[in-house]
Amino acid sequence: MADNAAGEAMISVCNLRKEFVISNTAIGSVKTLLLWWQRRSVRKFEVLKGISFEVHRGECVAIVGRNGAGKSTLLSLIAQIYRPTAGTVEVKGRVAPLLELGAGFHPDLTGTENVYFNAIVLGLTRKQVTERLPKIIEFSELGSHINAPVRTYSSGMMARLGFAIAMEVDADILLVDEVLSVGDFEFEQKCKERIRIFKEAGGTILLVSHQKGTVQSFADRCIWIQHGEIKMIGKPSEVLAEYEGKSVADLTGS
Amino acid sequence: MLSELRELWKFRELLVSMVQRELRVRYKGSVLGFLWSFINPLVTTAVMWVVFGKLLHNRIDNYAAYILAALLPFTFFQTSVLDASQSVLNALPIIKKTYFPQAILPIASVISNFIHLLMGMGVFFIFLLVIYLRDPRIIPFQATTIYLPFLLLLSLIMAIGFSLLVSALNTLYEDVKYLVSVGMYMLFYLCPIIYFIEQVGSSDFNKHSGFLVFKLYSLNPVAILVTAYRKALLAPPTKIFMSDGRISDSVPLPWWGLPYVTLFSLVVFLIGWKVFYRLKWRFVERP
Repeated sequence: MADNAAGEAMISVCNLRKEFVISNTAIGSVKTLLLWWQRRSVRKFEVLKGISFEVHRGECVAIVGRNGAGKSTLLSLIAQIYRPTAGTVEVKGRVAPLLELGAGFHPDLTGTENVYFNAIVLGLTRKQVTERLPKIIEFSELGSHINAPVRTYSSGMMARLGFAIAMEVDADILLVDEVLSVGDFEFEQKCKERIRIFKEAGGTILLVSHQKGTVQSFADRCIWIQHGEIKMIGKPSEVLAEYEGKSVADLTGS
Repeated sequence: MLSELRELWKFRELLVSMVQRELRVRYKGSVLGFLWSFINPLVTTAVMWVVFGKLLHNRIDNYAAYILAALLPFTFFQTSVLDASQSVLNALPIIKKTYFPQAILPIASVISNFIHLLMGMGVFFIFLLVIYLRDPRIIPFQATTIYLPFLLLLSLIMAIGFSLLVSALNTLYEDVKYLVSVGMYMLFYLCPIIYFIEQVGSSDFNKHSGFLVFKLYSLNPVAILVTAYRKALLAPPTKIFMSDGRISDSVPLPWWGLPYVTLFSLVVFLIGWKVFYRLKWRFVERP
């Protein structure tokens, strides 16, 4: 195991378990509250079944696994969006979650107004946003569109703006969930370059990606999650080789 | 609760930004914009003045002022709780992607409505000034107006408490907002807004019930609160006529009225807070 024991643990995940309740009725209503005897039909679905690992300062850890393995749930738990069913998540410093770029934008407000709002959600002060606004606009390449309502933006434009904001909030930890591939090729390269700079400056990254190239070029370590458990942890090349071998084996049915 | 309050304080810039956003979004795309905040209470008051002051012959001087004094705090309570009930649901996409204290959402709804209340109060005092200028013998301003900040604070605490409670419940059970809007509709008539608390006290219904009706009526904290606004801001009306032409007895605000409302507001605030923080983890996992 290429455990970077020298660094300070920025993310410590210990025996993390998460189960979701799957209700048979679509939306919560007073009906479901009153019909308590029907609650037996509620099923529980365990997404993460006890996961432990640490991410150290300045390290980039990639998470691979099939769809539904629990990767995104894991990132959401680290971002404090879900409460663990059991186990603990400890995070040091400011987290910038890039879980779905542009998800937090208000469609009727302009780009600038949304920059203020999102950057403040991520922990900046109003004054700091004003100082950094030109840099954010420049990086997002939106130009004069920044004064148009966000509903007029394309998904690529929203992604660019979301990424530009997240990179300017002085985060200690970046959580990246397969968002690098939403922009065009040039922007993707630019994002990757920016993330590289972030890492060199001592930033910590937890990355979920299906792209082999991204994992290999960024990650110091790789975690393979299967059915909510850690299947393998180690050097990206080794883990990827095993993971791909297993996937091909699954496909051919051998 | 202390650590939660501290966290909320840490995110105060976010609260300010949310209030601004809410105020901006509300009138985005409308020509008159912010003026609508003034037009709404003015139009309502004009309608009520015509219907209750003129058509129904209430024969009370400046009837519109009495309506406005009670209508403004009631509208604040009603709209902030109704707006807040949707606040968490509307922000679900953001909540699912970033962490911040979610209690900010209903609180921001209440505060943006509170700013409307303050503007409405501005309209109210301009209205009193107009009354004075039209007939300088009447001085409509009252010394008891100094109680207004306290009444505003009470309204704010009560509205935040109810908003936390309703927004948390409505996020998990969407029927709640319909219940609340029906409740608000009934509450409007259960509060002395288009009539006077004196008329309830002097009604035959009350007298035949051995004053039980009035006692029950006074248990409604919102009714007490809007009556307090009315009594603090305006002189007691000269004569209030009952429907049969009798003049009603004068009814002072009971001595226990404001302590009762204060206690009620604090209890509602605590309950709302506890319920919200107990349920908040379930918002993102809402089926």
